Amino acid sequence: MKPTIAIREPVVDDLMDQTEKILTEEQIEKVINEVIDQETGVRLQTYVNTCIHCGLCSEACHWFLSNDRDVSFAPVTKVKDTIWVMLEKKGKVDAAFIKRCSQIAHTECNVCRRCGMYCPFGIDIAYMMLVVRRICAKLEMVPLYLQDTVNSHAATMNQMWVKPDEWIDTLQWQEEEAQGYVPSARLPLEKEGAEIMYSVIGPEPKFLAQLLGNITVIMKVAGLDWTMPATAGWDNSNMAMYSGDFEVMARVERLHHETAQRLKVKKIVMGECGHAFRGGEYDGPTWLGWMSPPIPIVHAVAFYYDLIKSGRIKIAKKVEGPVTVQYPCNIIRNAGLGSKLQYIMNAVCEDFVDLIPNDRHAYCCNAGGDTINCGPPWKKIRVQSAKIQSENFKRTGAHTIVTPCHNCHSGVEDIVDGYKLGMHVKFFSELLIEAMEIPEHLKPKEE
Amino acid sequence: MYEFVSGPLVWIAFIIFIGGSLYKIYNMLSGAKKDITLFRHMSLKHSLASLVHWVIPFNNQYMQKRPIFTIVSFAFHICLILTPVFLLGHLVLLDESWNISWFNIPDKVADWMTIIVIAGCIFYLYRRLTDPVVKNVTDGSDYLLLAITALPFITGFIAYHQLFAYKTILIIHILAGEIMLIAIPFTRLSHMLFFVFTRALFGSEQGYWKHSKDW
Amino acid sequence: MFNIENWDWESKEKMLAEPAKWKDQFEDVWEPYISPDGEKIASIVKIGEGEFNIAINEGTWEEPFEKIWYSRFSPDGRLTAFITKDMEWTMAVDGKTWEQMYEYIWDTKFSADGKIIAATTKVDSVYSITINEKTWECPTKLQSIASHVISPDGKTSVAIAQTVPLAEGDVNAFTKGAWSVIVNGKPWNDNYADIYGLAISDDGKNVVAEYRNSICEYGILVNEKPWNEKFGCTWEPVFHPKNSDEITAPVRQAGQWFLATNGRIVWDKGFINLMHQTYSPDGNNIAAAVAPSFAKWTIAVNGQPWSKTFNECILKPYFSPDGRKVAAIAKDSGKWLLVVDGTVLGEGYDNIWPPVFGPNGDMVICKVEKNGKYAIAVNGKIRGNDYEALWNPVVSPDGTKVMICGVEDGKYYRKVVLLSDI
Ligand code: HEM
Ligand code: SF4
Ligand code: SF4
Ligand code: SF4
Repeated sequence: MKPTIAIREPVVDDLMDQTEKILTEEQIEKVINEVIDQETGVRLQTYVNTCIHCGLCSEACHWFLSNDRDVSFAPVTKVKDTIWVMLEKKGKVDAAFIKRCSQIAHTECNVCRRCGMYCPFGIDIAYMMLVVRRICAKLEMVPLYLQDTVNSHAATMNQMWVKPDEWIDTLQWQEEEAQGYVPSARLPLEKEGAEIMYSVIGPEPKFLAQLLGNITVIMKVAGLDWTMPATAGWDNSNMAMYSGDFEVMARVERLHHETAQRLKVKKIVMGECGHAFRGGEYDGPTWLGWMSPPIPIVHAVAFYYDLIKSGRIKIAKKVEGPVTVQYPCNIIRNAGLGSKLQYIMNAVCEDFVDLIPNDRHAYCCNAGGDTINCGPPWKKIRVQSAKIQSENFKRTGAHTIVTPCHNCHSGVEDIVDGYKLGMHVKFFSELLIEAMEIPEHLKPKEE
Repeated sequence: MYEFVSGPLVWIAFIIFIGGSLYKIYNMLSGAKKDITLFRHMSLKHSLASLVHWVIPFNNQYMQKRPIFTIVSFAFHICLILTPVFLLGHLVLLDESWNISWFNIPDKVADWMTIIVIAGCIFYLYRRLTDPVVKNVTDGSDYLLLAITALPFITGFIAYHQLFAYKTILIIHILAGEIMLIAIPFTRLSHMLFFVFTRALFGSEQGYWKHSKDW
Repeated sequence: MFNIENWDWESKEKMLAEPAKWKDQFEDVWEPYISPDGEKIASIVKIGEGEFNIAINEGTWEEPFEKIWYSRFSPDGRLTAFITKDMEWTMAVDGKTWEQMYEYIWDTKFSADGKIIAATTKVDSVYSITINEKTWECPTKLQSIASHVISPDGKTSVAIAQTVPLAEGDVNAFTKGAWSVIVNGKPWNDNYADIYGLAISDDGKNVVAEYRNSICEYGILVNEKPWNEKFGCTWEPVFHPKNSDEITAPVRQAGQWFLATNGRIVWDKGFINLMHQTYSPDGNNIAAAVAPSFAKWTIAVNGQPWSKTFNECILKPYFSPDGRKVAAIAKDSGKWLLVVDGTVLGEGYDNIWPPVFGPNGDMVICKVEKNGKYAIAVNGKIRGNDYEALWNPVVSPDGTKVMICGVEDGKYYRKVVLLSDI
């Protein structure tokens, strides 16, 4: 089979460039065979032997569709250019090849599983891309920014090098902010036996602290018994899951779940993040030997759905004008929260304009699966390859796009900038805070 | 020659086809046990749901988007499997040696079905040559598989119409059919065997584990 | 438990405070804590905007503070909390503050007798451990402290700290090592990519930690010296209770978890996962939470898993004082269960707290939660009434009585009950 012709602008990624220079072919051969023999099995074999090379999966992939149907972005091509060669050559490949594998699996695939839904055999290409990532990770061929994030997870158990005191300090500050709206609001730290442990992802305390204030208000208005840990284990995000460093992934997830066990809560409610839900609900528990998390995890979308549906939170004033939404793959296509998201959007928006395609068929924002975490070197191609979703947004004519996922949030902001859409990008909780009713007795007293 | 290909070789082909298929499936299932999570994430209900949505034409969004491909693909596969099984000529042979028989399709219809299979192969070949994505993942083996699939039908068609050298063509036809049978378990034609399993897995993962759907 | 012989084991029932009344007295009342001997109950209370105090039994601390958090009783019954004044923080013990103020202070730890109180502190962006008001004199400017541990006698304190500043995205410096272990203010010689699972032996002589060099390269360090063996992953090591030279840790090899002592694999069977290994009090037996197959959890004692497994999870095992029985809390199909030697006792609950053994091991007592109320369960069956708040029961040193502290009808009771009566 002739190699695929892939034309890409050269990208400088310091870590990948450095690794390319020092990797030896013996190392590569050893790691590839080790991973394929020990960490995969019939699943990979069956996928490879069943794929009839029909190319039907290409229609699913936003990379392919956004780049004028460039063959080199088609899902099956990604498999051909990585796994097929590794298997055929029994691991005898060079460092440049591994670098290209890393580029394909990390920066040109969001492991969003849309193609799996379009392959007539249900071949899970995202799974194969994760196998490639695992091989690359073991060879330390990982995009620099992503590896730095994984290092942060490994050292601090959070994604953003947040130090323990900074975390607590931020929560205490946001508690005060929340008291500006609702004076009796409290952000209870380390409250053993609370009903809910609320967990967030690293960027919240680092850049988006007001979201912590928002949830403090929402919890008070809903009258819930909740807590947040004052120790590591508060961060539910997990880039190690995506880089292929499953050991670090597992340690982070274990700590997150054991923090909930230690606090004796009934459930973990997590902020608006897609991949964090995937790590907490699926990939992390599976590696650790749990069928599902021992303390159930509830994603913000399902949580808000329950609050609104049960009337615990009432909507006072719906958001005006057309609003649309990004359906985060990790909670919609791969967790089935689509109709709940539609419900809460309709509940708080006067004019919710849906996307086409929507729900589990919606396109990925192209930030997920670690792609955005590969950092500035890879941004241009990422935004360029989100063209199809930018057109979908444009068609809605909305003034605001709601993104119940942190990666989507940043990714959609880049789309809005890159394609000059002139739309706002907001988390659902930001709309909810504006729209919800704050009961009289909780309002600040006028003096 | 004719006696050999239509006698012992048929036996051998069927034994290899059935034995090989069973072996391949056994191998896959026993290997799957080693994947500790695989079966735990599967459910019969969601496996069946997935199959229902993918073996009935136009029962998922994706097929609706590609009507021509869907029609060709279903017509091709239906004819591919039904024609040899219900062809009167085959049934007569079966009756002669085993004294069993079942419903047959009229020769006229079978003739058209054969043409559909051949046309399907031409369609696939055309895609392989022209669709850039398909072309890029095509090598000799793909053409070979198409040839293995098409040959029994082409030769069968020629033999039925007795266009030329009937005896030779008939022998080639039988041989081609046997090659196809033998090839199924050991080439990517084994998609016939694995289809059910890959679908069941993805359907279960999406449906049972991830509370979503795969259609 | 410190000084347990001298606690009041005679008074049958004392009503010591009425926390319900606090709600009328103060703007906001936080969750209460009790002293180990059950004599005191305390809650952080809000008395006005930017004004907090601690209500304790019938009174409060003398002086209110701008903010108070993390109220914890020391083993000798003193109440500690972090307080802030003019944007600076310090520790308050029974209402009296440490002299020094800090940029931040958190994570209180006590010696077994409670005489020594330690916490992580930060001054001018340098991190340290402060022990009874004395801050480590560390030759290295610590960039961060992830966690710290103090020996039971309080003489040794150790921390996992970042010893080298890291620029953003400097993966090479990270790989070379930026983290180390600090023992009584003195860093170990080497730096590591990552350090986890820090522990001190009970006699305070030895310090152990996990280290990670790179992906799939983990090991155990004992007083700076690594085990010869390296592993694909490790979990927290623990010391033998009597022999501080024996260390046991779960280690991962070829995709399975094993138990290793001093580097050598000691259980012949591998598991999908293996955590929370625990020695019996005499150190002769080890129990651990294991998954013999995917999503089937149980306890293995000396490598032999119980035949009964649980489909959600199992927590840390507890040995009876004589080391013959093992109890654990497991979760199966949404319910928490008390399991002793592989047998489920009683029914399922919404929550179960760590079990306590009676003296000869045939009685297991624990706090349980059902329908939002708390109760004491003996061998898994609820005995006595419900409480609005309840603490873990404590068995008297002579093994005849149990102390039960809880809030009923807004009143805080400390009860001492004969084991034979509950
Ligand atoms: C009942 C069993 C079978 C199932 C479910 C099945 C399914 C499929 C599917 C899903 C495809 C993908 C593309 C498409 O939809 O056309 C395909 C393609 C194909 N199948 Fe099958 N198949 C079966 C049996 C067979 C058999 C027995 C043969 C031949 C011996 C065969 C030959 C082919 C060929 C030649 C292609 C087209 C490959 C190309 O694009 O060049 N199939 N099959
Ligand atoms: S997983 Fe998503 S991004 Fe990756 S190839 Fe498939 S459709 Fe494209
Ligand atoms: S659609 Fe499925 S079978 Fe066809 S090329 Fe893609 S992965 Fe292979
Ligand atoms: S970032 Fe958002 S849309 Fe994109 S992969 Fe995650 S969940 Fe999917």
